[in-house]
Amino acid sequence: MPSFPSRVGWLTIIATLAVVARVATVTLGLAQPPPAPPAPAAADGKALYAAHCANCHGDDGRGEGAAAALLNPAPRNFTKGVFKFRSTASGSLPSDDDLARVISAGLPGTSMSGWNRRLSAAQIGAIISYVKTFSPRFATERPTPVALAPLIPTSPASIEKGRKVYADLACGACHGDTGTTFGAVAVVLQDDWAHDLKAADLTQPWTFRAGATAGDVYLRLKTGINGTPMPSFADTAKDADLWNVANFVVSLGRKPVWQMTAEDVTAHYDLERKDAAANPVERGRYLAATLGCAHCHSPVDASGRELPGLSFAGGQKFRLEVWGDVVSANLTSDNQTGIGRQSDADLKRAITRGIKDDETRMLPFPMGWPAFASLSDPDLTALVAFLRTIPPVNNEIPEPARLNIAAYLSAKFQMLILGRDYPIVIFAGNAGSAGAGPKAGAAAK
Amino acid sequence: MKRMLKWAIAAVAAVAIVGFLVFLYVVPPLMSVAPDAFIKPTAAAPPAVADIADPALRQIAERGRYLVLTADCGGCHNTQGPQGPRWDMYLAGGTTFATNNHGALVSRNLTPDRDTGLGARSDDQIRMVLRSGVFHTGRAISPRAMPWPGFSQWTDEDLYAVIAYLRHIKPVRHAIPDPRPGRADAVLPNASEIVWLTDAGR
Repeated sequence: MPSFPSRVGWLTIIATLAVVARVATVTLGLAQPPPAPPAPAAADGKALYAAHCANCHGDDGRGEGAAAALLNPAPRNFTKGVFKFRSTASGSLPSDDDLARVISAGLPGTSMSGWNRRLSAAQIGAIISYVKTFSPRFATERPTPVALAPLIPTSPASIEKGRKVYADLACGACHGDTGTTFGAVAVVLQDDWAHDLKAADLTQPWTFRAGATAGDVYLRLKTGINGTPMPSFADTAKDADLWNVANFVVSLGRKPVWQMTAEDVTAHYDLERKDAAANPVERGRYLAATLGCAHCHSPVDASGRELPGLSFAGGQKFRLEVWGDVVSANLTSDNQTGIGRQSDADLKRAITRGIKDDETRMLPFPMGWPAFASLSDPDLTALVAFLRTIPPVNNEIPEPARLNIAAYLSAKFQMLILGRDYPIVIFAGNAGSAGAGPKAGAAAK
Repeated sequence: MKRMLKWAIAAVAAVAIVGFLVFLYVVPPLMSVAPDAFIKPTAAAPPAVADIADPALRQIAERGRYLVLTADCGGCHNTQGPQGPRWDMYLAGGTTFATNNHGALVSRNLTPDRDTGLGARSDDQIRMVLRSGVFHTGRAISPRAMPWPGFSQWTDEDLYAVIAYLRHIKPVRHAIPDPRPGRADAVLPNASEIVWLTDAGR
């Protein structure tokens, strides 16, 4: 007689364990979550907001989430109860449907994506209920609907009339006479939250935040975009004129590159290059933003929020254990502590070859100069031109603290031969001289 | 004779030790090699687009190549070996970033591999990561570990070019683990982020 457990006994035990484990994972919630969670009650608005909205809009709804500082356009601050895209009168609260439309469809050309792909209508409704608690306005006021005039279908005559009204209403002062902000317009606009703002480029309908049909454009003209310099024309222009302008604006739209022929793409890229050469600061601003310069050159607090007043002032401390401590440079135009006294050639060499103006070398990371070396000459010139425009901030950056040769060899022995993983540590706070904020690495060993 | 042999052994040992230390000092990653030694492989890593048949898409992908290269996607998404990036695994991911609010994330595999890369991701899903910092599962992505707020400002047309180019690079099978919980400042006080270069992918 075989001793227990026999083969059958083993199989029984394994099968039992498998069933128990399966039941345990399911009941303990360890299994993969289902792709579409069930629609929650309205009380879940807060939790949904925390999971999906707070990264940009902040837990307190002030539009100051961890990602907010570098976003453009900036995330909405809900506490003022001022909303841009409404079907309601200028200055009025938006309707629930307006809010649902923005959350569901998103705002093209911005970081607000369409959440109808991720959340159910009930979940979006719960979020709306929660968002409305941030401003006291929703408790005391009602949205004021606007009366909309019937559509005037587009026609060459309507477009021509619209062209004239567009000029009469001075739309071109912000949007450019030909509807493009491409080089033509150098107005720096600001919204009510003191964020820089660019007028919509009317030749790019795919970036229109709340839709690009004539009806959508008419609604923007009628209701305005509250919190921005875009006024409502409800009292200053006739409905028929607004419809004609809407038809004119729609007629300005061009094709995006993904619909262009090869010849059109070539011509378009040439035009972009010419525009960039004519407006190097604007091109440089775009490059600095999209290359993420501020990601390392603006100091942040422990939760990743940018420290106020220190944009581009450097001071993020990096500990690279094999090489020592380095602190990101002050890129503002300050003469003593920033790049004010550095020549264009010095700056370009630092950006593309990692050699500083004092002839010392940077490591190939975290500063990505080996990649920035591939920037075209015009782009590099534009980037430097933009850096020159950053207002000076006095923030003296300490020299790199390199390890001595023995510690360096020991660290490399451990890393290369013993296979130890030396982490790169990035510290919160400003390691430079400015401000009373927490010193980077102060609490560290 | 015996004495000479002793000296010879001692000399060989000394040369070996010094040689080893020099080797340790010189072998990458090191403090100072010529800038071109970093620049050239970085610029050569992203494949050319000459083999794209559609001339419109080819120009757009060329723009995408420029953007992907100069925005230094490879800085975080190249798979790291013991002596720097593994250029044969361009953008295959695997570097771990511990953050304070979003756990420890591992840089994703951006190659078109169907199972472990972006092969099964729609353009819309990739756009949502770069524009809004939202992963296809709905998870919010740390703006610290991944500088998506900067990339969010690419125009729609440049974003399209970036995605078109990422579709074109060599697929590499390299599975990236999901994020795990934890905080950087629990590992080291006052840290906002900790990066481990050892490849966490498989």
